[in-house]
Amino acid sequence: MKSFEYADEEIGNSEIGYVIPSVVIGAGILSLPRVLAEGTVSADGWLPIFAGGGIAVLFTWVVAKLASRFPKQSFLEYSSVLVSKPLAFVLTACIALYFMVFASYEIRFVATLSQQYLFASTPKEVLSFVFLLVVTYAVAGSRVALFRLHQLFLPIIIGILCIVLLMTLPLIEVNHILPLFKTDWKGYLQGTKSTLLSFMGWGVLLFYTGLMNKPKKAVKAGMIGMCVPIILYVLLYLAAIGVMSNVVTANLTYPTNELAKVVEVPGGFFERMEIIFFTIWVMALFTTSIVFFDISVMAINSIFKKVKKIKLVLILAPVIYLMGMLPQNRLQLAKVSEGLGYAGICVSIIIPALLIILAKFRGIRGDG
Amino acid sequence: MYFKSSKRNKKKEQDYSKREDFSIELSTSLEENIINIKKMLDQPGDLLTRPFVIGETGPACAIIYIDGLTDTKVINESIMKNIQSGADEIGKGFEEAETALLDRLSYHVISSASVKKVTTLDDASLAILSGETALFVDGTDELLIIDTKGWEDRSIEQPVSEGTIRGPRDAFTENIRTNTMLIRRRIRDANLRFKSHQIGRRSKNNLTVAFVDGIVHPELIKEVNRRLETIDLDDAPESGYIEEWIEDSFLSPFPQMHNTERPDKVATALTEGKVAILLDGTPFVLIAPATFGAMMHSPEDYYERWMIGSLLRTLRYFAAFLAVFLPALYIALVSYHPGLIPSKLAFSIAATREGLPFPAVIEAFLMEITMELLREAGIRLPKPIGQTIGIVGGLVIGEAAVSAGIVSPVMVIIVAVTAIASFSLPSYSFAISIRMLRFGFMIAAAFLGLYGIILAYILINIHIVNLKSFGIPYTTPFAPGFKSDWKDLVLRFPIPMMTKRPKFMQTEDDTRIDKEGKS
Repeated sequence: MKSFEYADEEIGNSEIGYVIPSVVIGAGILSLPRVLAEGTVSADGWLPIFAGGGIAVLFTWVVAKLASRFPKQSFLEYSSVLVSKPLAFVLTACIALYFMVFASYEIRFVATLSQQYLFASTPKEVLSFVFLLVVTYAVAGSRVALFRLHQLFLPIIIGILCIVLLMTLPLIEVNHILPLFKTDWKGYLQGTKSTLLSFMGWGVLLFYTGLMNKPKKAVKAGMIGMCVPIILYVLLYLAAIGVMSNVVTANLTYPTNELAKVVEVPGGFFERMEIIFFTIWVMALFTTSIVFFDISVMAINSIFKKVKKIKLVLILAPVIYLMGMLPQNRLQLAKVSEGLGYAGICVSIIIPALLIILAKFRGIRGDG
Repeated sequence: MYFKSSKRNKKKEQDYSKREDFSIELSTSLEENIINIKKMLDQPGDLLTRPFVIGETGPACAIIYIDGLTDTKVINESIMKNIQSGADEIGKGFEEAETALLDRLSYHVISSASVKKVTTLDDASLAILSGETALFVDGTDELLIIDTKGWEDRSIEQPVSEGTIRGPRDAFTENIRTNTMLIRRRIRDANLRFKSHQIGRRSKNNLTVAFVDGIVHPELIKEVNRRLETIDLDDAPESGYIEEWIEDSFLSPFPQMHNTERPDKVATALTEGKVAILLDGTPFVLIAPATFGAMMHSPEDYYERWMIGSLLRTLRYFAAFLAVFLPALYIALVSYHPGLIPSKLAFSIAATREGLPFPAVIEAFLMEITMELLREAGIRLPKPIGQTIGIVGGLVIGEAAVSAGIVSPVMVIIVAVTAIASFSLPSYSFAISIRMLRFGFMIAAAFLGLYGIILAYILINIHIVNLKSFGIPYTTPFAPGFKSDWKDLVLRFPIPMMTKRPKFMQTEDDTRIDKEGKS
């Protein structure tokens, strides 16, 4: 029944507002306090978060502006207007590949994390495989349903994060946070770069804005959505430093999880909060993965229009799985993550910036 | 739109050549008509014929009806008495024009409230089989159908499956007219509509779609009627047949329509812009569309004060959580993550599990299946024994299983709490879905512990965000989010604050209460 406005294949602005934090909050947040603590002194890392976050919000604006100039058009369609067809094909293919690699990274990351916190002996292939099955089931369904999933899961994810943060309050020691502003500019720059990389995710707007019924509203919704993870990251970072101090944080692989470990549940209802935290966190990794997988499907589908979506999903799933299994150890996985960061700069910053300059310069609009 | 109508429509186009065609016109001969009707129904013993002649010279007539479906008193009073007491008067001058006589009988003589004319044998037999009386007059090819329905019915009783402490105590019955009456008594709006359908190739059952015009979204009515028209069943003894035919996905474990025997619940649903489907012969009325949130509501939430209503709803969500997750969590914690349990409790659990022959999964499955058996046995047995079985079975088997060293006492507690939690859900069919899901979660926990549970949870969520009930996503108003509808979701706001009808129903008239109140 198409007549129920919200029941068709279009999305509103609040859905976009949910997708952005849902994508951003994922793997990066678990290790972010460490990355920041490595480069900065005491609790100075909050400045780079705001700086990186500011850049992220700025480019969210750029991407949303660009995409909302061409309402109801796919990335391939409007980029071919801007930079000629063959180049647009290449761009779309590259972006699809980027998102595919990102999805496979997430799928592998889940296995690594659950090996560390839940099952030491279960092979990562099995853990990734079941996760991939669930992700594939989600992507194979309707696309608007994915947005509903974000709406259902994001409050739970932010909720568990807030609970952990609240429970750390009594453990924070002020002298861990002081003194202020002792970091040199190199440290700040380093921190800004790594936070920016962990905020990568606004690139999804390049594709999702085309589904919106009122694309103009994507700009505001996207920017508000981007602010949510920034605030959460700052709070989390301060809590991590405040509880564990800079030196300890810098030497933990996943300080966010360790933060959940030091927390004590009132009433002693259960111990080892970090397991609960990680269990919920699987949802965060899931929401990130479905977006990346879905966008790769969307991008490839815009190139091969005749192929059915479900076929594409079933072809891509094993490819993503195999790519995820390629890295042999944690070091290689970190390399992949680093590479993804730089590719992300390309996809989410350079390409949209160039395209919007072209669009402005040549005065091309898709909405008449 | 995900709806499997194409296949069914095709089926409908088939030609039922085996079925005898009785849509033949009536003949002008009384004799022949009566013989035909009797032949058609194969001379049943309860088919009564009463021939008579109007006046001295008038035409030969006869009434035919089925004994038991008709009220003999009505036949005597409003047909026979009137005709025979004024027979000379009526018969006068009608020796030639029998058709006019039929009109005269219908307009001036018969004092029943409903009289209609039919011309085919098929219509006539359907009317007779529904409890109406057919009046034949020799020489006409038409006949009068007089409403004389009257049979033994169950009176209005208390609802059996949906009890409340506070609230109306009447429940629907098997008679569709009683049921429509119960709804009309609650909504005296001129816009309350009852649209009739006939269901069942053989049973020719009455089905009524109830809605309030001017509130309900017009497309919803269209869609409901469209789906109802695709129904091609032999027989529809219960609204479950209708539900299964017109629901969006029969693969889903979740019910996509409410069924209720409470007229107050139906009335509230109608004013919210929903549609009720009543079927003759069953006290269970369907309400469409259904959403996950509404499955957790009980009418009593609105009858008690709002704080109590809100608290009870929150409790119910907690109960649903327990009913789904508790055994699975036990399996996961005991077999994979004992570190999560507080150490003292972990020790005592380990101590009680000492010497048990089975792993936690088998233990849980044994107890859960026993519990389901007890529940099923309790329902099937006669009531007084049924309750005894529940108590005796539960206590004795639980106790014996523990002392025999088959299960641990903690497991018995878990199973009992789970069962109680699933009983506290207001919708029986939703509670069954939850019971089913529980076993899925237990298997997931057995294989992958907490990781398995969270993946299964995600899986269920993927399913319900894709599920629709009559075009409305099952998770509305959680997602897609309608913040104004959250006033009546997990919490129940005070009634003066719920000024709007549910926004997700996209009602034509959205104001339930004027803010200023009555001036």
